[in-house]
Amino acid sequence: MLNEIMAIITHAGDAKSDAFEALENAREGDFDIAKKLLDKSRTTMIEAHKAQTQLLQKEAQGDDMKISILLIHAQDHLMTAKLAQELIEQLIEQTKEIQELKKINGL
Amino acid sequence: MKILLCCGAGASTSLVAQSMMNSLPENEKANYIINAITYDLFLDHYKNYDVVLLGPQIRYKKKSLEKEALGDNIPVDVINSVDYALQNGTKIIEHAKQLYKKAHGA
Repeated sequence: MLNEIMAIITHAGDAKSDAFEALENAREGDFDIAKKLLDKSRTTMIEAHKAQTQLLQKEAQGDDMKISILLIHAQDHLMTAKLAQELIEQLIEQTKEIQELKKINGL
Repeated sequence: MKILLCCGAGASTSLVAQSMMNSLPENEKANYIINAITYDLFLDHYKNYDVVLLGPQIRYKKKSLEKEALGDNIPVDVINSVDYALQNGTKIIEHAKQLYKKAHGA
């Protein structure tokens, strides 16, 4: 169970880091790298979800799942990473629009 | 060697700190201090350590934290994701040692 918990934390954390780095690149005007990082973030998030699914399956099979603070913490990681990812997708689009508007207005 | 581990809350890194300690041979344990904290407390603590390692979940903070510690010649790096997930204490200690060597030219 500890393996799955650590897998959730690591993959969700990786996905979150990639998403933030994507935003940083977008703000610097590098939208190609931003897209690559966001794609990587999505792929990594799938791995986090897989680890979570393994836990859910064990529970469904009647395994006694001990709820620990660390497990709750892993779920925190997963959901905040997911939210960060979705918000950053929107923010990158906005960054694009802002930079285009700046260009049009010669700023 | 004093190693500081940082992550979001210092929760998962405290497990990693433990696995690092456990990976050390008994006679070497006394030579190491390994602690885990939240990155919010980084500025208060990093000066007391030789090496700072970040959890992969705060990789995006590396640049800004590194900048803070640069003047003190305290290396900051991100723990390899696989080693982190598997809590490979031996490899993470090795990583810290290499960073230390690089910073101090030994």
